[in-house]
Amino acid sequence: MTEVTSFADLADANAFMDSLFVYRDPPAVAPLKGAAAHEVAVGPVHAGVIEPGHFRFQCMGEDVYNLQIFLGYQHRGVEEAIVAAQGNAARQIALAETCAGDTSIAAATCFAEIQEAFANVAIPEDARRLRTLLLELERIANHVGDLGALAGDVAFLPTASFCGRIRGEYLNMTALLCGNRFGRNAVVPGGLRVELTEEKRLKLVDWIATVKKDLDAALKLMFEEPSVCERFDGTGVVPKAVAEELGLVGVARRASVELHGDVLSRAMVRRTEIEEAHRKVLDLLRKCTASTRSPMPAQLPAHNGFAALTAKVNAWRGELLHVALFDATGQLLRYRIVDPSAHNWQGLAWALRGEQISNFPICNKSFNLSYCGTDR
Amino acid sequence: MFKALLARLKQGYKTGSFPTQSGPNLPPDFRGRPEIAADISEKEFSAAAAVCPIKDALMRDAQGVRLDMGRCLFCGRCAEVCRKIRFTKEYRLGVFTREALVVKAGEGPYTPPQQTNPDALALRNTLQLREVSAGGCAGCELDANVLGTLAWDMGRFGIRFVASPRHADAIYLTGPISANMQLALDKTYAAAPEPKFLIAAGACAISGGLYAHGRLPAPPALYIPGCPPHPATTLEALLRFTGRLTGQL
Repeated sequence: MTEVTSFADLADANAFMDSLFVYRDPPAVAPLKGAAAHEVAVGPVHAGVIEPGHFRFQCMGEDVYNLQIFLGYQHRGVEEAIVAAQGNAARQIALAETCAGDTSIAAATCFAEIQEAFANVAIPEDARRLRTLLLELERIANHVGDLGALAGDVAFLPTASFCGRIRGEYLNMTALLCGNRFGRNAVVPGGLRVELTEEKRLKLVDWIATVKKDLDAALKLMFEEPSVCERFDGTGVVPKAVAEELGLVGVARRASVELHGDVLSRAMVRRTEIEEAHRKVLDLLRKCTASTRSPMPAQLPAHNGFAALTAKVNAWRGELLHVALFDATGQLLRYRIVDPSAHNWQGLAWALRGEQISNFPICNKSFNLSYCGTDR
Repeated sequence: MFKALLARLKQGYKTGSFPTQSGPNLPPDFRGRPEIAADISEKEFSAAAAVCPIKDALMRDAQGVRLDMGRCLFCGRCAEVCRKIRFTKEYRLGVFTREALVVKAGEGPYTPPQQTNPDALALRNTLQLREVSAGGCAGCELDANVLGTLAWDMGRFGIRFVASPRHADAIYLTGPISANMQLALDKTYAAAPEPKFLIAAGACAISGGLYAHGRLPAPPALYIPGCPPHPATTLEALLRFTGRLTGQL
């Protein structure tokens, strides 16, 4: 879905681009006072194989009074690079895909939709379906991985082990479709570079049926384990009113609005979304046929005044927003990417209030936000 | 506990047969080591270079046409427009020198390099890695993490990701080294005890990929190309790095 906003002059257009959401580091605050006051600094290099960020826990005794999240370590200028790569769509889309690697398909879809809307090209229905199929596989893989990691963080190893393997199965399904486990280079303006043959389609249907059984068993095991549920229940609560005020999106928002906003709620939302995504995938697999591609013009057409094109995709973490500002000649002036993570860091900081630091890993995993998507 | 055992029994043994009994199970459209035909013309080269997302990944000069796997994203666009370039199923991409990443037109059959460095060979049964993500997109990080899952289980070869550089034999670098991670990377590398190695995984860590490349704290001892490298590529490269794997799979 793409929206077009037109502007008479550049100042208005720039003001619009500047108004888009950006995560900003919290302001420096005075250290806590008192015998029990202390600060724990973590990062940028973390203990696990994860991205860099700096966390500062201001604690009173065992309790976290305030968590400050400092980002920017991953900043490499993705947006500026997309503008600079004008005329090389392959490079631009690769840049968009590597903004946040676990959201490659959603990002490529946003970029492609903007190009298509600007050039006034309608993509074939089968291509649209296939894009959705890839997006849903991306959603399932990530949710499965995160649920497994949550289990791992509370030392419930059966589900951690099962889900670690099952996530790989879904990545391999994406690789079956396009050759890359993260769906890189699959989505392009005009359609896809994917050939869904009848053989692949049938293989996927069978594969999903087998893996889904294992996945159901793995998740049932965790959600029916009292010690796990007890650990998740009431931990890292973001109340509904706070979630709405902070403007949380995606999984975190659903968990606060539809459920209780704790780690268990965020885990349950992921389980629900896995179910929804499977229904969609199976439905799409019934309808999908070989994909075709619409030809894109070599140059984007001229336009009236300045135009900002906004593409929104329901990515697995929440709404992913790409906004491109073009001038009248079709030149790309600015590009902005608003990753759903950007909205949710404050939710994570809130969730830690009054918790112990030992609860940070499960709170963090229940959100699993993207550092690189936020830093761009 | 019985439920967990029952679930395990139903799922069965899921660790892959790679690399102990067979080669990896790669997708049909897998793009591995590229091959360039010796008779690639200037016109064919230009057509391929025009669609490449990376500057200087495809080169043509006095030495002929070459493709730098250290820059390549393995997107396969060049092969779509030029029949003289082909991405093979060769997944063994890890090499020990930067020059070895460059594929030349008309190159003969490929043999992966063998380790001769005694310090690396000493890690045959234990290779402790400290990962540093320096401006990466998390793709390389995720597919490195995957090696710890039971599907790949690199732990059976004594390979582990450890929490501290003090415990590490090698720093496993991903990402182009953003300006804001340069200091943290330098300090982490410095904190690892000698002898130590730097492993550059992914196009970003090797050459910056799509982005500006920061300063490598040392010349890498192992290069694992890809965007991101397939887990099979990474595992095979790590095993060959320590001399644990020498033959063909």
